[in-house]
Amino acid sequence: MYAQLTHINPLTLIHRNRLLPVPGSVNVREGQKVNPADIVAEASIPARHYLVDVARTLATSTPAAAEKMITRKPGEMLQKNDIIAETGGLFSRVIRTPGEGRMISVNKGRILIEAESTKISLQAGLAGKVSQVIPDRGATIQCYGALIQGVWGNARLGCGPLAADSESLSGELKSSKLGVTARGTVLAGGTCSKEFLAAAASEEIGGLILGSISSSHISAALEQPYAIIVLCGFGDFGMDELSRKLLSTHIGHDVSINAVKWNRLTGDRPEVYIPLAEEANACEDQVVYSSGQTVRLHTGSYAGRVGRIESLLPGFTLLPSGLRAAAARVVFGENSREIIPLANLDVILASD
Amino acid sequence: MAKNKPTQAKSVLGLEIGSANTRGFLFDVVENSYRMIASSSAPSTQMQPLFDIGEAVYEVVTRLQEVTGRVLLEKSGELILPAQPNGDGVDQFFVTTSCAPALKVVAAGLLSDVSLESAKKLAYAAYTNLVESIWINDRRPFNQKMDAVLAARPDLIILAGGTDDGASRSVTRTADLITGVLGFLPRGIRPQVLYCGNQALSSQLREAFGRYTSVRTAPNIRPSLEEEVLDPALGELNAMIMEKVLDQIGGLRRISPLCTIPPQLTNQAFHQIIKFLGRQYDPQKGVLGVDVGATYSMAAYANDRVSILNTFNLGLGSGVEELLLKSDIREISRWLAFSITDAQVSDYLWNRSLYPLSVASTIEESALERAAMRQVLRLMMAELEIREALPSSRFEPILLSGSLISRVVDPVQSLFVALDGMQPLGISPLILDKHGILPLLGAIANKNPLLAIQLLESTAFTNLATAISITSKARIGSTLLRARLDYPDGNYFEAEVKQGSILSLPLPSGMSGILRLQPTRRVEIEDFALNREPIKVVGGVCGVVLDARGRPIVLPEDPGKRTDLIKEWEFLLGAA
Repeated sequence: MYAQLTHINPLTLIHRNRLLPVPGSVNVREGQKVNPADIVAEASIPARHYLVDVARTLATSTPAAAEKMITRKPGEMLQKNDIIAETGGLFSRVIRTPGEGRMISVNKGRILIEAESTKISLQAGLAGKVSQVIPDRGATIQCYGALIQGVWGNARLGCGPLAADSESLSGELKSSKLGVTARGTVLAGGTCSKEFLAAAASEEIGGLILGSISSSHISAALEQPYAIIVLCGFGDFGMDELSRKLLSTHIGHDVSINAVKWNRLTGDRPEVYIPLAEEANACEDQVVYSSGQTVRLHTGSYAGRVGRIESLLPGFTLLPSGLRAAAARVVFGENSREIIPLANLDVILASD
Repeated sequence: MAKNKPTQAKSVLGLEIGSANTRGFLFDVVENSYRMIASSSAPSTQMQPLFDIGEAVYEVVTRLQEVTGRVLLEKSGELILPAQPNGDGVDQFFVTTSCAPALKVVAAGLLSDVSLESAKKLAYAAYTNLVESIWINDRRPFNQKMDAVLAARPDLIILAGGTDDGASRSVTRTADLITGVLGFLPRGIRPQVLYCGNQALSSQLREAFGRYTSVRTAPNIRPSLEEEVLDPALGELNAMIMEKVLDQIGGLRRISPLCTIPPQLTNQAFHQIIKFLGRQYDPQKGVLGVDVGATYSMAAYANDRVSILNTFNLGLGSGVEELLLKSDIREISRWLAFSITDAQVSDYLWNRSLYPLSVASTIEESALERAAMRQVLRLMMAELEIREALPSSRFEPILLSGSLISRVVDPVQSLFVALDGMQPLGISPLILDKHGILPLLGAIANKNPLLAIQLLESTAFTNLATAISITSKARIGSTLLRARLDYPDGNYFEAEVKQGSILSLPLPSGMSGILRLQPTRRVEIEDFALNREPIKVVGGVCGVVLDARGRPIVLPEDPGKRTDLIKEWEFLLGAA
């Protein structure tokens, strides 16, 4: 049975595609070095329009008559108050543009103007090198470094030097960690309060890495202007020991956060990248459950705890809930053992 | 694959590929009747890291082989089809899938309560998310309507309107707007169009939209003001969704040629089987089927004339996010008879949205999931009422299906989930599809109706109970009526029903009894004249249940009293 995987990897080769949802222009070339905030591709999507009914406004006999009075052509850029139609003659009546935009079309005596479009600017999201350009869509960025995968993100990108200490990594981030020195940094902690989320925004931090967050803070987290990634799940259980250990070895290093929403169908997952100078091979992305694997629990009262599979139990095991499921005996620490359904385990892959 | 000519189909393999789990069922003829021989399940693998359904399908079929001792796969891993003289393989192979990302839909029509209403019904029936509606009397200016459609970024636009040989100018005007939208959007994100309006415009609009995007046309869903014909358009809509599913779900196109009929969407197949059943039961009441899954839930109603399907983006896997966004967490936690904070309930369910494959391992987690299922059902019933989707408030029977309901171990708890979540009125026989095979039977019935009929009559389904909802304005604890159940052997059972209570009269599954109710004060049973005439009732594993808890069921605010009451109800029905 294939395992659910989470990478908490001190050194690996990372390849990530950065793609536009629609065709656009790509701003980078193969081999180019990029920083997390660099724009690798851009596109625009139409958003707001004006419709000017020339035939009705100028009371023409037919739409065709109205179209003869239109003075501009589709494709032209228009400024606010530009004349777009006029009757002509001594006492000419005119129609002016209601706002700036681009004339899209003329149809049945009506002019359609695209007033504004939504610009999509795609950032690199991590520091690295462009390994491949995908024409009109984006690029693949490659780097070596540490990789920590999360479970939830607020759909933003962030970067900056990592600011953390053992106290905050193993507990709740306190407002005392904020201040002038926090500006532009990526803070990391076990968990935090809703008030902390708001206070961190006013300090303009670069991002926030949390072990867990209360589900009641989700809407507040989504409103923040900076990237927030949750590594283990919802609750107040904090950060797992492996993530804690890895982050604590990189305090002060530049890190970037891609706090994308986890989409299992596409494989997009929130991640933390810490670029490093050393080289390494890419890590596995498919493993089956087996004895000896390091696992993290993601459900119930054990959520966030890290253990090791001592043995896989044969067939299906009757659980206290009355359900039968494939399960493993998991060892926590020295002596504590629990039977855990495989479906409630994440295998943690670390290359060291 | 072996290619011998098939004789009469005997052995049938069915797969339900869900967003969380893939389940396999092997059916065969035993003593001249189709029976379910074995079932198996494995986590679905269309997601990360494999992105292909093949591994889960292989695991499920391999387990079926292990359980039955029958060879279903060649050594190369291919399915042996049809069955061989030595018994290897199967004669027919059916697949249903709910691995369908919900399409964002804009419904467009002329009159809001005619063609637009029908277009919305189409959207509600499918794996879609209705994000915007436009109609001819919509007071927004043309450009604002256009901007609204652009902002909604739909995957699909359903355009209806105009009776056949009726309005065409208004339809053309709406079509102009849609053409404008299609023209503005970049090629990669242009929505598809389903046209199901005035047939006189069909080919003209197909051509107009076809310059920009892929278009399907269907017979008019409102051929006249009085008439509504949804099925052909729904078939086209489902075909469009299935095309996307085939493109997005790795491996489905590969196994499709092996299937006896092309793979079907689970909700479509579920609708088919409920329609089939609707023709068998009392047309005055109609059959209601509800299915709670990981990503989607659905409700289908049918009698001998009409059938309606409603699909909801609610579930206990990835659908839990929608459930939590639409619910106050207390609406879920109030059903828990143990000490837990609302924050813990919320955290557990949000974690469930991150890990849709996770399993309730403790009694408390199991209870928590049942509480969430109650809320899924409650939201569904409320939405059905808003949509005025059910022509009747009484159903015979109510069928409970879905991978999640089938995971409830204790039938009494399944009954409570249904009664508390749906709060049915009147007299309702409740049947549990304990393996979650109803949708698959809907697909199989297309080619092998005998199998569907015989399975529906088999032990694959459990008669939970005949539930009778008694309402009264009396005080809690007041005696409402005396009930006497007479058995075929001449014995009888008597009980007193009190306001606020629920109790069960023992009547084994499938056995009929005569129930006499003698009110001691003013009470009502929806759509039933309590004139002391006896009622013929059919038993279930929970007997005949007299539910006098009222509608809606009101739980005490005080947590202690609430817990005691829930425990009392569970005790009275003998919950494990």
